[in-house]
Amino acid sequence: MLWLCLRFPCLALEVFPPESEPAVVVALQRVQAANEAAQAAGIQPGLRLAAALALAPGVLVHERQPAREAAWLHMLACWSEAFTPQVSLAAEGELLLEIGGCLRLFGGLPALRERVRAGLAEQGSFAVQGLAPTPRAAQWLARAGVEEACLEVEALPAALAPLPVQVVEGFTPAQQRTLAALGVRSLGDLLVLPAAGLQRRFGAGLPLQLAQALGERPDPRAAFIFPEHFAERLELPAKVSEAAMLLFALRRLLAALAGWLAARASGLSSCRILLEHEDGLPASELPLNFAEPTADLARFERVLRERLEHYRLTAPVWRVQVLADEAQPLAGRSLGLFGQEAAQALAPVIERLRARLGEAAVHGLACVADHRPECASRAVPEAQAGVRPAVAGTRPLWLLPRPQALGERAGVPQHEGAILRLAGPERIESGWWSEVGQGGDVTRDYFVASNPRGEWLWVFRDAQGWWLHGLFA
Amino acid sequence: MSMPVPLDEVLLRPDVWRGDRFAPNEAGEVASGFAALDAELPGGGWPRGALTELLPAQRGIGELALLQPALRHCAEVAPVALVAAPFLPHAPAWAAALPLERLLLVEASGREAAWAAEALLASGALGALLLWLPAQVDARSLRRLQLAAEGHRAPAFVFRPPALARSASPAPLRLALSAAPQGLQVDLLKRRGPPCSKALLLPVARPVAQRPQPQAAPLPLRPQRVQV
Repeated sequence: MLWLCLRFPCLALEVFPPESEPAVVVALQRVQAANEAAQAAGIQPGLRLAAALALAPGVLVHERQPAREAAWLHMLACWSEAFTPQVSLAAEGELLLEIGGCLRLFGGLPALRERVRAGLAEQGSFAVQGLAPTPRAAQWLARAGVEEACLEVEALPAALAPLPVQVVEGFTPAQQRTLAALGVRSLGDLLVLPAAGLQRRFGAGLPLQLAQALGERPDPRAAFIFPEHFAERLELPAKVSEAAMLLFALRRLLAALAGWLAARASGLSSCRILLEHEDGLPASELPLNFAEPTADLARFERVLRERLEHYRLTAPVWRVQVLADEAQPLAGRSLGLFGQEAAQALAPVIERLRARLGEAAVHGLACVADHRPECASRAVPEAQAGVRPAVAGTRPLWLLPRPQALGERAGVPQHEGAILRLAGPERIESGWWSEVGQGGDVTRDYFVASNPRGEWLWVFRDAQGWWLHGLFA
Repeated sequence: MSMPVPLDEVLLRPDVWRGDRFAPNEAGEVASGFAALDAELPGGGWPRGALTELLPAQRGIGELALLQPALRHCAEVAPVALVAAPFLPHAPAWAAALPLERLLLVEASGREAAWAAEALLASGALGALLLWLPAQVDARSLRRLQLAAEGHRAPAFVFRPPALARSASPAPLRLALSAAPQGLQVDLLKRRGPPCSKALLLPVARPVAQRPQPQAAPLPLRPQRVQV
C-alpha cells in the first residue's frame, strides 16, 4: 500500500476567481487564506481582518464559502478517479489516494506525481503531496508540507520524527499547553513516550493515531462513493455574461468528468452543459457532441472552445452544470491495421468542424435505391459502406439543388446557346405514390447534352418543358 | 564573415531548384493517370502535401474527371474530403468514382470553408482534399492552407474562379482548365520547373465517347402520364 495525500492549502481561495490584486478569505474576522499578492503585503493566515486591512487597505475580502469548498473537493475527488479507484475524502481540504497498485500504469512515482501536479495546475489548483505507506502518516507529512516520499514502513518513525506535533488532529488548547510543558515539540518527542502514560493524559485517541501512523494498527478509510450519474454543478464566483468567461469554470467540471469516465473505462459521445440564469429564467442548454465515444479531456475542451466561441448568452449565468447521460464502455485501444488510425485521427477534427459549422454540415454520402435522381442520395452522419446504386445509366457527379428551367428556341432547349443532345433519352418514371415534398411523381426523359461553351449537361424533358438537372464535372 | 557555401550544396536543398529542371517534392506524387500530364508535372504526378490550384473556365467540362484516377488511388488509404462543394453530390455517380465510405462532405462558405480545409489538412488523416473557394478568399488563406498541407500525404486541390489566373498565388502548381472538343484542355500556369507554354489536351472520361455532329435521332414523344 502506498498512500498519496493531497492537501489543498489554498482551497478556500480556489473557489473564487483568480485575482492578481491582494485577496483574502476570512471566517470569524480572521484571515483563513491569502493569495500571493496578499502574502507579499505581509498578510498571513491567522491574522485579524482589521490587521490585514491595515497592511493592505485595498485588499479584496471574501467570506469563506464552506459549501463551495465541499463541492470543489467533491469534484477534485471525481477527477482523481482517473488515477486510482481507491480515493477517500479525509479531513477538510485533504484527499487520500491509494496509488501502490497503479504506479506501473503511470510510469513510476515521479511521473505520476508530475501528472497529478500538472492536472491540478490546469484546473487552477495546487496541492501538497504527502506520500507514506499508511494514510495517517501521509496526511501528517502533507500537513507539515513535507513532499519527500517515505516508501517503507520501517522508515516511518525516522520520517515522522521531525514533524511538529501540531500535525496531529484533536488536541484541545489545554492539552497543547500540557505538551508544551512536557517539552514535546516534535512527533519524535511524542513517539518515545510510553503509550500508557499518553493514554492517561491525552485519552485513548492519541496512542491509536500514533500506532495507525506507524502501521501497527489498521486504519480503515471510508472510500469516496463516486456518483452513478455524472451531474456536477459549479456555482460561479460572479455572474458571467460573456460565453468565453465560462471556459475556466467548465474546464474544472470537464476534468472531473474525464476522471469519472476513466474510472468506468467509459466514454461519451455527447454530454450536455446547462447554464443556469437568475430570476427564474429557464436554463440554456449547450450540447457537446463527439464523433466517437471519448474520455479525453483535451477533446472535450477543444469542442467546448469551438462551441463557446460562437455562443451568445441570453442572460447572465450564475451556475453551470455538466450532465453526462449515456456513458458507453470504451473498447481498449488496440493498434489497428492501416485505415483505422486514419479514422481515429480524423474523428477529433470532425468534432471541431461540427461544433463550429453545425452538426449537419459534416457528413458522409450514401446511395438510396430510388430511380428518381433527387432521391438517390442521402447524407449520413458516419461514412459507411451502403447499398450499391440502383442504376447503371450515366449519372452526373453534380446535381442542381432543384432543376433549372431552360428556354426553348425553335424546339431546341437553350443554355448559354443551343443544347446539343448527345445521348438519350433515358426515361425515368417513378414515385407515383409519394407526395411532392418527398420527391413526387416523376415522368421524365433524360439526355446527356452539351452546349457551345463545352459544358456537359444532364437535361430532362417532361410535360412542362426542358430542365437542366446536373453537370458532368 | 561566414564561409561562402558551395553552389552544389545550395542546389541540394529541397527548396532550391534550377530553373531548367523540375523541383523535387519531398512528400512524393500521386500519378494523375494521364501520361501526357504526368510528363509535364514535376515528379511525374500531382504533388502530395501541397496545394494544386485549378481554374476551370466553366463548370461541367471534366474538371473532376481529370482528378478521378488520382482520387480513386488516394481513397484506398484514407478518406477524401469535399469542402464547400458547388452543387449537390449525386451518390450513384460518386459511388462509381470512389468507395462512398471514404467520402467526407463539409458544407461551409468562404472563410469558414478555408478554415475547415485547413483543420482537415493539418490532421494528416486525409487521403485527398477538394476545396472550392470563392474569389474573395485571399492569398493569405491559401498560404495557410499550403502550410497546413505540408508534410502530409494528401494532395490538396483548390478550385477557384478563372478570373484569378493572373493574380499571384502561393500554390506551387496552378492549372487553367477549359473545354476542348475531344476532352479537356490544360494550361500549366505555374509549376516548380521551366515554364510550360504548350497546352495539353487530355482524354478525360466523358459520359459519351464521341460528340456526334448532327442532331441524331428524332425526339420521341414528350413523356406523358396516360390517364386511365
